Amino acid sequence: MAADDRPDVLVIGAGASGAAVAWRLAGAGIEVVCLEQGDWVKPHDYPHWQADWELHRHTDWSAEPNVRRLPQDYPVNDQASSIAPLMYNAVGGSTIHWSAHFPRFRPSDFRVKSLDGVADDWPIDYATLEPYFDLNDRVMGVAGLTGDPAYPPKSPRQTPPIPLDTLGATIAQGFERLGWHWWPSDSAILTRDYDGRRACVNCGPCDLGCPIGAKASTDVTYWPKALAAGARLVTRARVREITLGPDGLADGVVYYDQDGRERAQKARAVVLAANGIGTPRLLLNSRSPRFPDGLANRSGLVGRNLMFHPYAMARGLFDRPLNGHRGPIGCSIISQEFYETDLTRGFVRGYSFQVARGLSPISSAHGGTVGDRVPWGRGHRRAYGERFDRTITVAIIGEDLPEAHNRVELDPVLTDAHGIPAPRVSYTLSENSRRMLDHGIARAGDALKAAGARTVASNPLLRAGGWHLMGTARMGTDPATSVVDGEGRCHDVANLYIVDGSVMVTSAGVNPTSTIQAVALYVADGMIRRRA
Amino acid sequence: MSLAARRELLALVLDTLVPAGDRFPESGVLALDHVVAMAGASPETGSLLTRALDVIEQAAHGAGAFSGLDVGQREDLLRGVERSHPELFEALVRHTYDGFYSHPATIRRLGLEPGPVQPRGHRIEAAALPDLARVASRGPIFRRA
Repeated sequence: MAADDRPDVLVIGAGASGAAVAWRLAGAGIEVVCLEQGDWVKPHDYPHWQADWELHRHTDWSAEPNVRRLPQDYPVNDQASSIAPLMYNAVGGSTIHWSAHFPRFRPSDFRVKSLDGVADDWPIDYATLEPYFDLNDRVMGVAGLTGDPAYPPKSPRQTPPIPLDTLGATIAQGFERLGWHWWPSDSAILTRDYDGRRACVNCGPCDLGCPIGAKASTDVTYWPKALAAGARLVTRARVREITLGPDGLADGVVYYDQDGRERAQKARAVVLAANGIGTPRLLLNSRSPRFPDGLANRSGLVGRNLMFHPYAMARGLFDRPLNGHRGPIGCSIISQEFYETDLTRGFVRGYSFQVARGLSPISSAHGGTVGDRVPWGRGHRRAYGERFDRTITVAIIGEDLPEAHNRVELDPVLTDAHGIPAPRVSYTLSENSRRMLDHGIARAGDALKAAGARTVASNPLLRAGGWHLMGTARMGTDPATSVVDGEGRCHDVANLYIVDGSVMVTSAGVNPTSTIQAVALYVADGMIRRRA
Repeated sequence: MSLAARRELLALVLDTLVPAGDRFPESGVLALDHVVAMAGASPETGSLLTRALDVIEQAAHGAGAFSGLDVGQREDLLRGVERSHPELFEALVRHTYDGFYSHPATIRRLGLEPGPVQPRGHRIEAAALPDLARVASRGPIFRRA
């Protein structure tokens, strides 16, 4: 502890990015305290050990905080959003319930203004982040296969790819027949023992957490290493606001401890890692005479430019069993055939296909992510029998461009259990995204039929698909058009950093966690360099 | 009247939603306890399901009248309730499917092993890595920036 008893750095949030930055800073001898509103999830807390495990997906293990409503959750008013935000509050954050898709952003994703004339370029690029992608891969542990022509060459993956099994091999044939790109997914799921963690046993429901630590949630990857390096983690500590000293710098936070007592934690620097909704919420709740519209918000951009990845789903029905219940639920194959801009398609930028596993029994009955419930009545048994274990679902994950009207604000009425104003999310799907998803649905249908599907059903927009929360405190060089600089430091408050998805300038057409963590490590190294 | 007190009517409704067939028993046998438990676990769910039964009972013109209908008439009646009270009916179908498709007897008949998925997991036969020669031979498909 420093002479005045303040730690060097206070990190808010122990999820994907908070864990990474805490580990990197602690490893450099910097004193780190992290406050996390959730708690540790113990291996036997997961529903996988219970016979009714699947029922928990729609109750206490739902990815939607508004459904789950656990004490550590805060409500989100999403009535004005066509996509429901998803998140988890615990040590590990949303990596507890993620499916662990681990693609990187591609080089062009950092240069969309220069290449395609839309949105903005990032102030950093792929080459800058590449060593951090590799470092992050080593800590998280990635199953995959090098040689994918959709990316610059990558370092060797830590374990072989997750098995394609019958389902993956079937859809791969569809891509092959069309001559399209496909590749086994980079997945942060171990297929061999690695770094003291066990290999996956293919039990299936990664979205309910991983009780054996094969999936890379940061409670089993970064945190043990960060704690060993001296970081201190305080759980069940909900931050209410960030406070300022007389010099205009952040000097700590006010938070509620596990007994509901109000406490202060001072620090020399503050790092926000509370996700793309929690971070703007906290900044907007941190008002002062110096920042009457919310901390670090002189640009008025805190909370604006919210990006999800809009998902559409296409599901093919096949005539034979596909063993879809085996293996990690979210991952098998990715295709980036339609990733880069081709304006003849009717939209700018592009999307990826992700092929997930099959549906478990209850999800099959409810129609899975397509949402077309099996009809009830005398035709039910036959309809269910035709569908169960005979479907392949292709997700279309489209690049969402930033739009200022898509935003996070404070709800004037709704609060969490501590009386802290809750976030209100407004989001509408753009016309560009609509055309992109429609294109993706049609092409996914082509791939499924080429693989042998008898029929294809689709969902034009998955409402419960707000896994990726981005853009609400964007990075940039101009304080008038961005919230943080190219090293994650707030333009308005020099010792306040943001490292979660909020800083993303654009969203790319792939899952963001690998890139979020690489950015967090890069920001951490900047802090270390400045301290030296 | 609570749902638990109307188990007989509820079981008939569940049987109509998911009838027996193809070696599967009807859901009045497999899902009834789950639906009653869900109603008891949450006042919100309990209210939805109780009101659903109230509407069904009224549509059938009496507490015992539903049982006097044949299968086709029961389905017709329930389709009318589904149209007139979609929120109530949705809750009824959702919890019926949840109960039926989480029951060990159903899981077994689907060809799966009932019970927890850990620690057993699933065995996937080892396979050769896929042949990606065609894909790789295209060369880079990303834009250099």
